[in-house]
Amino acid sequence: MKFLRQRLDNLRNLSQKNKLLAFLKPVINAADEIYFGTDKVTTLPHILDSMDIKRYMSLVIVALIPVALGAVYLWGLRVLAVIAVSYIFGGLVETIFAIARKKEIHEGFLVTGLLFPLILPPNVPLWMAALGVMFGVVFGKEVFGGTGRNIFNPAIVGRIFLSVAFPSAMTTSWLMPFNQGTGGFLKFSADAVSQATPLTAFRSERLIADFGNLFLGGSPGCIGETFRLGILIGGIFLIFAKISNWRLPLSALLSVVICAGIGNFFAPDKFAPALFQIFSGGLLLGAFFMLTDPVTGPFTRAGKWICGVLFGFLVVLIRGLSGYMEGVMFSLLLINVFSPLIDRLVLGVKYPKIKK
Amino acid sequence: MRKSKTFSGGYRFINFEGQPKDTLEEVRVPLRVTIPLRQGFGAEGDCLVKAGEGVLAGQIIGHSEYGVSSPVHSSINGVVEEVKRVNYFKRDCLMVSIKGDGNPRYQKLPGAINNWESLAYEEIEKILYLSGVTALDREGIPTRMRSSIILPKEAKSLIVHGVGSEPYNISGELLLKGKNILNLIEGIKILRKIMPNARVFLALSSHSRKILEEIEKLTSAYDWLELYPLEPKYPQGYDEMLVATILKQKFPYGYSAANVGAVILNLQAVLLSYEAVVEGKPLIERTIALCGPAFKEPLHIKARIGTPLREAVEGRVKEGLSARFVLNGLLTGFELKDLNLPIDKTYSQIIGLVENRERKFLSFLNPGLKSDSYSNTFMAKLSPRIQKTCDTNKHGEERPCISCNYCEEVCPVGIIPHLLVKYVQCNILDETLMNLRVFNCIECGLCSYVCPSKIPLARQIREGQEKLTIQGCDRNQCILPYFDNLKGIEEYRGPKEL
Repeated sequence: MKFLRQRLDNLRNLSQKNKLLAFLKPVINAADEIYFGTDKVTTLPHILDSMDIKRYMSLVIVALIPVALGAVYLWGLRVLAVIAVSYIFGGLVETIFAIARKKEIHEGFLVTGLLFPLILPPNVPLWMAALGVMFGVVFGKEVFGGTGRNIFNPAIVGRIFLSVAFPSAMTTSWLMPFNQGTGGFLKFSADAVSQATPLTAFRSERLIADFGNLFLGGSPGCIGETFRLGILIGGIFLIFAKISNWRLPLSALLSVVICAGIGNFFAPDKFAPALFQIFSGGLLLGAFFMLTDPVTGPFTRAGKWICGVLFGFLVVLIRGLSGYMEGVMFSLLLINVFSPLIDRLVLGVKYPKIKK
Repeated sequence: MRKSKTFSGGYRFINFEGQPKDTLEEVRVPLRVTIPLRQGFGAEGDCLVKAGEGVLAGQIIGHSEYGVSSPVHSSINGVVEEVKRVNYFKRDCLMVSIKGDGNPRYQKLPGAINNWESLAYEEIEKILYLSGVTALDREGIPTRMRSSIILPKEAKSLIVHGVGSEPYNISGELLLKGKNILNLIEGIKILRKIMPNARVFLALSSHSRKILEEIEKLTSAYDWLELYPLEPKYPQGYDEMLVATILKQKFPYGYSAANVGAVILNLQAVLLSYEAVVEGKPLIERTIALCGPAFKEPLHIKARIGTPLREAVEGRVKEGLSARFVLNGLLTGFELKDLNLPIDKTYSQIIGLVENRERKFLSFLNPGLKSDSYSNTFMAKLSPRIQKTCDTNKHGEERPCISCNYCEEVCPVGIIPHLLVKYVQCNILDETLMNLRVFNCIECGLCSYVCPSKIPLARQIREGQEKLTIQGCDRNQCILPYFDNLKGIEEYRGPKEL
């Protein structure tokens, strides 16, 4: 620890103005801040909460660990390579922007870097993952001014870019997951057998997949969306830790149940049954980890309810009536677009004009 | 037992290290005191003594004929050394320094008798006014001598509270020890006599069961008194929240409870009123809690007004650390930088914090066995019995707002701090900000406390208010249209000084 402290102090000296490493200042400061807490003291109030953004973001990562471990078991060690690629290239973009802006590196990217690989198909080429995360971070976040100012979830922007640019790679070839013994922990990648995801199977053959498989990850799908038990554990952990809000996931899931129920009642060949919709595709991952992103989502309470309901409605609508199998991605993007507007409307009602 | 009541928002500070023990130590009568002629709210008194003049403890040395104020007494027997202007709490104030002889005797108030019920209400008012007790608390006790901005007959409700919602509080158990609990009830009766139109509410922390039970027993026969157990959630002890939870009434934010006819007093103010009327004791000393981790042994002291802070804390602070002393509240209180300044009537807690500049290794990953946080991400949340550390470290770097909404969740007055601050930071200072009720902010500082991005929200909201006021959009335009008959508004001196 002392050694590390000395190293960092050396580096910090070198990064002073007009020194050799001055351009790397944001990187060195970020490393320094990660290893050692702050030495700044408060003014008013005299005490501050022990929580900070680093902890906030790292707890989201903790909540994603069950999902990530499940993904490695289901799809093989290649998943780790995809995650590494996403972190390296996403981090690179974040660092370049921080250096160009002469600002600190923000922690928000830690979550994007892990969330993005989880919504890719398991056999995605590594270069594609790198391209997607870079596009997502640049056009989903940095062009708006970095963490806290982005209107879109960078992971979703990257994913949509990939699905539009490489539709065949992103939508047609799915792998069959490992489900025996040590699973993917000792293997590099699952066999390239083309499979239909449960949603596709429903669309083409009206097949309802087995719920046990859906729940534990025994069905094809994206890297992190199929181990739904892990998603529920992580999502509920975040809600209990007060890091994500319960209103959005709850209203979204209720809305899916109701909309799918109505759709299934009137047009059973178009709309899958409610419970099947909940446990298929990326709905749970989207509802618990992406919809709840505080920066891009609504912040008013009523806005959260409205956005959740709207999200569920859009998901069911796109799944049922559009050419796409899965609607979570587009619904999330639409919700990101609409949430400032919805917040504005809610604020208008909550804070009426002052009497004259 | 009634169910405890509360408000939405707020945050309960549970079990911070260094809570004061229920023991009371008397600080010896100081040999030199400096007495500010303006203590707390109200106008500055005119100085009635000259340098070289002999004074007795309990003698009035400062008194103003004009403006809202109460008399100020000498707290020791001795000789006036000097009268001069000093910067006191960021305002210029006349100070009288007195060199004393160490004799604890004091002059009794004229007219005070044991059997107070035989006194006419005019006489009680006069004794209270002359004792200086009327200057206690945010708006004081109204008398016809203009000790508050309203008249006694205009007081529609009297709220006596000892909720203790701050991280560190003066102990209600200590204040109401033994006979004092009876004195409190007598004190309330005395105050009720001078404010005949007031409904009386006694608000206590719902967690001090023993006191609640005892008071319930003692007051069950009085139908004029309502006992309110309140959840000790910060900022319940604020006038704004007491009016909202107890009277279920809108508060004119930025003005005072007296404007809506509510007189709000803490336990000690009532006890001192009792002592003034029955025992004839002028307000020359008061009980103060010394708390916080910087004190060797946190406890309560009884000190004369005007005692230099140094004498009160000397020998009680842990050695070998740099301490920061804070007055009354950790979220909003003044930092007491100059220990030569005196203790005055407004002191209730002196909190000693340790300046912590230590850079902790991997601090964001620590399990937090003793860390307090609004979020449930630290182990210390598992049990309320775990004692939490309390220091001045910022616990994190300042970052942009991520709209996590903690500030809105804890805001006791239902505004959205992070949104207001975004407007202020972008310099969008117009009607929008007023419509978002920026002037409703009561500056409790809770939003700044909970912010994981360490943004000083409360301060920036205040900056926004100030900038708006310069532009001609002031508090009055936002608050006054919602109230018809605020009393004493022309005498009100503007928002409380920070």
